[in-house]
Amino acid sequence: MPSVIKAKSKNHAPSVVDRRTFLRTITQAAAAVGLSATTARRMAGALAKGQRPSVIWLHYQECTGCTESLLRTSHPGLAELVLDLISLDYHETLMAAAGHQAEAALHSAMEKNAGKYICIVEGAIPLAQHGTYMRIGGRTGADIVKEVAKPAALVIGLGSCASWGGLPSADPNPTGAVGVQDLLPDKKVIKLPGCPANPYILLGVALQFATMGQLPQLDNEGRPLFAYGRTIHEHCPRRAHFDAGRFAVQFGDAGHRQGYCLYKLGCKGPATHASCSTNHFCEVVDAWPIGAGAPCFGCTEKSLAFRAPMYQTIEITRPQPPATYPGITAEHGSVSAVATGVAGLAAGVVLGAGVKIARVLQDKTLTDGAKGGKA
Amino acid sequence: MNVTRRTLFKIAAAGCAGVTCLPHAGAVMLNEPTEKLGLLYDATRCIGCKACVTACSEANGLVPDAGSSDGMYQAPESLNAHTKNIIKLYRASDGHEWSYMKQQCMHCLDPACVIACPLSALTKSDFGIVQWNGTTCLGCRCCQIACPFNIPKFEWSQINPRVVKCELCRDRLALGKEPACTAVCPRQAVIFGKRSDLLDAAHRRIASNPGKYYQDRVYGEKDGGGTQSLYLSHVPFSKLGLPDLGDRSVASGVRDVQESIYQNGLTPALVYTTLVAVTTHFWREHTRHAAEEAEDLGLEEQL
Amino acid sequence: MRVCWRRMLQVASPLLTKPFWFMTALAVLGLLLCVYREFAGLYSVTALNDGYSWGLFKNFNVTTLTALGSGGYAMALITYVFNRTRYHPLMRTALLTSILSYTVGMMALAVDIGRPWNLFFMADPWAWNPHSILWEVAFCMTAYVMIALDFENLAPLLERLEHDPFPALVRDVARYAKRFVKHAYPYGVALALALPTMHQSSLGSLMLLGARRVHPLWQTPLLPLLYVLMAFILGIAFVELVLMASCAVWRRPIDRFMLASLSNIVSWAALAWLAIRFADLVKRGQLDAVLRFDFYSFLFLAETLMIGVPALALRSKPLRHTPPKGFAMLGILTLGGMLYRYTPTTIAFRPGEGYHYFPSVAELLISIGFIALAMVGYLFTVKRFAILPATLDMAVLATNRSATKGQAA
Repeated sequence: MPSVIKAKSKNHAPSVVDRRTFLRTITQAAAAVGLSATTARRMAGALAKGQRPSVIWLHYQECTGCTESLLRTSHPGLAELVLDLISLDYHETLMAAAGHQAEAALHSAMEKNAGKYICIVEGAIPLAQHGTYMRIGGRTGADIVKEVAKPAALVIGLGSCASWGGLPSADPNPTGAVGVQDLLPDKKVIKLPGCPANPYILLGVALQFATMGQLPQLDNEGRPLFAYGRTIHEHCPRRAHFDAGRFAVQFGDAGHRQGYCLYKLGCKGPATHASCSTNHFCEVVDAWPIGAGAPCFGCTEKSLAFRAPMYQTIEITRPQPPATYPGITAEHGSVSAVATGVAGLAAGVVLGAGVKIARVLQDKTLTDGAKGGKA
Repeated sequence: MNVTRRTLFKIAAAGCAGVTCLPHAGAVMLNEPTEKLGLLYDATRCIGCKACVTACSEANGLVPDAGSSDGMYQAPESLNAHTKNIIKLYRASDGHEWSYMKQQCMHCLDPACVIACPLSALTKSDFGIVQWNGTTCLGCRCCQIACPFNIPKFEWSQINPRVVKCELCRDRLALGKEPACTAVCPRQAVIFGKRSDLLDAAHRRIASNPGKYYQDRVYGEKDGGGTQSLYLSHVPFSKLGLPDLGDRSVASGVRDVQESIYQNGLTPALVYTTLVAVTTHFWREHTRHAAEEAEDLGLEEQL
Repeated sequence: MRVCWRRMLQVASPLLTKPFWFMTALAVLGLLLCVYREFAGLYSVTALNDGYSWGLFKNFNVTTLTALGSGGYAMALITYVFNRTRYHPLMRTALLTSILSYTVGMMALAVDIGRPWNLFFMADPWAWNPHSILWEVAFCMTAYVMIALDFENLAPLLERLEHDPFPALVRDVARYAKRFVKHAYPYGVALALALPTMHQSSLGSLMLLGARRVHPLWQTPLLPLLYVLMAFILGIAFVELVLMASCAVWRRPIDRFMLASLSNIVSWAALAWLAIRFADLVKRGQLDAVLRFDFYSFLFLAETLMIGVPALALRSKPLRHTPPKGFAMLGILTLGGMLYRYTPTTIAFRPGEGYHYFPSVAELLISIGFIALAMVGYLFTVKRFAILPATLDMAVLATNRSATKGQAA
């Protein structure tokens, strides 16, 4: 590892970073998305060689919330991310350039890193009216996708909007908003839905690809399993309340104040695949809907977010029960060995007495005695 | 629009009310005590959350049974002296089939426990609820022998033992509320109402879901003479611990035998009068002989 | 010389023997455990649970042992209804076994009841549920013990009160009472026949409540008939066993002809009982269950053999007239009959999977204690009153002896 050692400056404008901080940053980033220490070292090694992957970040119909959530990370912080870990060559919100300068930066980045850059898409792409609802530099969103995202090495749809259309696609979807996959049917797009998506999921996917050229395992909707493999319900801190039947029935009632399960308030947790229950936001504990006492509204799921009424309870497709329920029959009573012995003894005594009496009865003097017997 | 907490409140209330539009009595009709009320439990809807178990203990003032959980959780293993309602799990040994089962008093139309009880401590009273009154109860446990569902439980450890079983939250009904279990169920898997309404609802469900429910029938419609706690299931009822009873109630079988023997007291009267006639007839002669023999032998007559 | 029982005579052996004290100790132990039960709840002394909620006290001490105590009933039927008055010398023994067995049975019932303070409601007609079989059993049994049996057992007591050196008033009252008893006897006997017919059959009807939970080899609408007939059989058999045992222990002469004729009745009755049982099984289509060779099949076969083999053996006249063989056969028959009375209540009663029951040690000790109490009562009564049958010679000898004693005094 080359020594990139300079004293860490205190005024948040690092040009170089010291080795210890560098390693710690990478390790934290890797750990945040569940990659091992070995992987972290490999990532660090690749990055230290100066191989910062090029990232082109496209914005469409979005609220910029996903970018905003990226600003609230600290391992790595955005500054470290964009200055030391990746080469953020195009980002409409963060880049200093504007206008033709920005376009020029986009094209030069595409040429220099042809076939190697990561394209992160934030926001839904409107298709109605020939895509006229969104134009940048005269080109429609769909055109930009074909031009920029198609030749990218990896396309990541960040947020529900880019994954499946998100808020803009809510009924009646006047702009014909769709996710980026719909415009790139032949390309594998990694989707990181969420509103906003948890920034650490992006960091993990991007860094893993950038440093090791690997993609995480995806589910059948193209979402990384490490983040979207479980429903909120399966890992919810309030699950014990659900299992015990303790529900908040109204906002502010006693149950709500005690942190009971929010299922009856319309929590979509049982049907929502996401990692929010373990990966909170803004790096504040319990900074996520259920942690704050608001029912999950299923922001990652196309069928739920902006479609199912927020406070309406959903059907839980019957989850496989754990073994901790009482069976239909339970064991009651037992046979005491001592009691069996006592009973056996009593029976033995009775039988013994019977045998003895039978023997005495054989005495003929009792039945046909000459004398009258004792009186 | 500024969404205040009050607005959220209203939306939440409206949403919840909208969901609860399934058939159930809501406010109980207290001016019709002859109307039979009951429960309909749909095992296909139950998610095993056990809210009904907790709600039942609270509503009935029962001490939660910790079972074998070292006092950590409320985990009854079966109905007992502290548990009037329980959720059990049936799972086939190869795991291919499973279902939850809610067990509580069946409130039979012709209860065996009522006919068995010697001092009428168990009676079928208002709304058809089978209730226990401790005033005359002997603690003889005839009810436990009689109940084909094995429901009444006895406080074996108490000096003043009671018979414990679900009574459809009579006290709550008196206040116009539903039983606790049906009120708390988040999936409306168990609902409360008039038996006739519940049967209609159950049959509607069967009709609109062909092949979903076992034998397309409601357990308790005719089983054991009919019960007020009705069951729908996708697995065989016997697997859930609901016995195959046929259409006659246990009580009717017993009543038939008793009536045919006793004929409302006519038989004992006839038997007694016949016996008196016979014994008095033979007795006169017997005493005469005995007196004669005693005189002959010089020994006192022995009765 | 043929032994012929003609009179009833006190046993002349001393009362306070080692066996007497042993029985008393067992009885006291049982009674102390009963007191403990009253203060500590049923759970502390029994192994009963919500599935097997009836155990030894109700199913053995009441259902089974009162069948043994149906000697008074059966003998009264034979002697006073069928007018076989030659069995009269056995009546007091039979009546004594009855009153003892029923009294301790009722005591066991009182201990088994969970809320005994409500027993007073048995006297409140507004609380009665006449459809309840247990009500019928309790009512009938109480009436039987307190009225009929007490009445029938008065005679030996009154005899002693009249003739022993008691104050003149007592002796006069006893004399009048004896006259009344003699006059009212047939009415009392009729009651003492009607009541047991009702409650012994009802003990069978009790298990009709178990419906399908009682194994189909035993569950039948004929349970009342089978139970009352078995009570008849066991009543006579037990009286014979008691007589033979008493005579063996106290070396009194045995009238084997009288016993043989009773065994004859027992044998025919048992064969009739078996016939009814099998006819019922055939009618209900349960014959294949008999030969299934599972636990219940073996139990049924054991019970049937224990009743059938002795019943057939007792068809042999020489065997009937041989006391040791008769004793053995009657003993096996009695055990088989007791097993029949007990099985539908407990062994063939399946309250549901997962329920197991075997009486606890305390339960066994209480049950044994009650039996011991009955035996103490028996020992006391036969040695203080003229109960057991005796020959004429013995009676004359005893009268002379007491006359000379009286003269000497």
